[in-house]
Amino acid sequence: MTKKNYEFAEDSFFLSRRRFMAVGAAFIAVMAIPVGWISSRIAKRNDYIKARSAGLYQDDAIAKIRVSHANPAVQQYYKDFGGEPLGHLSHDLLHTHFVDRTKLQS
Amino acid sequence: MTATTYQPGEIRGLIEIDASKCKGCDACQKFCPTNAIEGASGAVHSINEEKCLSCGQCLINCPFSAIKETHSALETVIQKLADKNTTVVGIIAPAVRVAIGEEFGLGTGELVTDKLYGAMNHAGFKIFDCNFAADLTIMEEGSEFIHRVRSLVKGETNAGPLPQFTSCCPGWVRFAETKYPSLLPYLSTAKSPQQMSGTVAKTYGAKIYDMQPEKIFTVSVMPCTSKKLEASRPEFNSAWKYHQQQGSNAAPYQDVDAVLTTREMAQLLKLLDIDLATIAPYKGDSLFSQYTGAGTIFGTTGGVMEAALRTAYKVLTEEELPKLEFEPVRGLEGIKTASVTLTDKSLNKELTVNVAVIHDMSRNIEPILQEVLAGTSPYHFIEVMNCAGGCVNGGGQPIDGSGTSWVANI
Repeated sequence: MTKKNYEFAEDSFFLSRRRFMAVGAAFIAVMAIPVGWISSRIAKRNDYIKARSAGLYQDDAIAKIRVSHANPAVQQYYKDFGGEPLGHLSHDLLHTHFVDRTKLQS
Repeated sequence: MTATTYQPGEIRGLIEIDASKCKGCDACQKFCPTNAIEGASGAVHSINEEKCLSCGQCLINCPFSAIKETHSALETVIQKLADKNTTVVGIIAPAVRVAIGEEFGLGTGELVTDKLYGAMNHAGFKIFDCNFAADLTIMEEGSEFIHRVRSLVKGETNAGPLPQFTSCCPGWVRFAETKYPSLLPYLSTAKSPQQMSGTVAKTYGAKIYDMQPEKIFTVSVMPCTSKKLEASRPEFNSAWKYHQQQGSNAAPYQDVDAVLTTREMAQLLKLLDIDLATIAPYKGDSLFSQYTGAGTIFGTTGGVMEAALRTAYKVLTEEELPKLEFEPVRGLEGIKTASVTLTDKSLNKELTVNVAVIHDMSRNIEPILQEVLAGTSPYHFIEVMNCAGGCVNGGGQPIDGSGTSWVANI
């Protein structure tokens, strides 16, 4: 009696079971958004960016006053209350400091 | 003790992926400025909140509408509007007026300032145009820039270093704070227009409205999701601190109490049955609705720089710019640069000011920052906005549905 040896065909497959699943998942992901979707998305996005920006430049062009220092309300703010740019009250109310977030702990 | 990128009290994890809707298509990763989105292709993705800037670019570009915000102040704001003892101040950002019309069937980019004022007035808001605060920002940030330039010319070292970076964009600020803390001294210390608005509304505004500051509820309407995180920063309670020094003993409050995105303001108006498209126009109720052309262009890439140059030119040369439109900083080029030569009247010296404008931050900023770190930057003033195109394309803006609906059916 000779002992029969079995060989498992799966061993010779070029991908492991885990790898095969990963490739399959990646394939599904690629199928989920059609070829060229990103570039057409960016083209469409740039169209509405241009349209909205044009709206703001139009708002600027039709404005009676177009420079910040001539805004009468801003001048009134400093005169009635704020003092002057970079002044004491500006330092307290209109300026801030930044945080090194690489050093924060919780 | 574990490392974190959040201060106590700040909104963390604002942007979240709905696992039941995510197809693992990776589209969001292409729009994320910090590679904060994790997960293999085909597997459900998730956002690393420590890296996330809360900019919402993934949210507005997800083809499956699988990304959402975890915080909304919509209900709180509706309650405050119904409360007769509260003055609710609506702070309107520049980019909102050219986008909110889209939610009411108006054309893309249509300018609807007066209608938006009308609709918000009808809803019960006092109108505070953030463009007024943008003008205020130019006064502070522009003065700071001129101070830094003159100190450099005179060889003094007590001013901040150059180049000066803008600090209006909360995505950029958080990016600098988490990745390049050594560059923080280069940022203008001026608060963003949103934060200036909240502070002014509760200090000077308390006099204008003749109202106790603790009864003023400030709601900013922003094209931006990251502004929610900005408003929650614990240091942004300057109005409360100011009144405390004046003897008030009111409980602490933030300068900006609530932030609504453009989308959420549209939702609020619809819930209150207000149709922005047909509402009567309104001009505003106080000096806080007065703004200039310079303030309004803050909402687009290059706009802050253009506005700052208009005022810096006047302060330095004592003359108005002959031509206000500054074309080199307009448009969608990734890095825009320009040089302006002018005479500083008070120093009687000719200066050349080099400026750079960055948007779509993650794609364009690295070379600029490397130059600054190496001490070789040729620039004096640098504007940075995280989102492509600036705030007009912010993460809080109406989502452009065209071209994505058929994808979502897959």
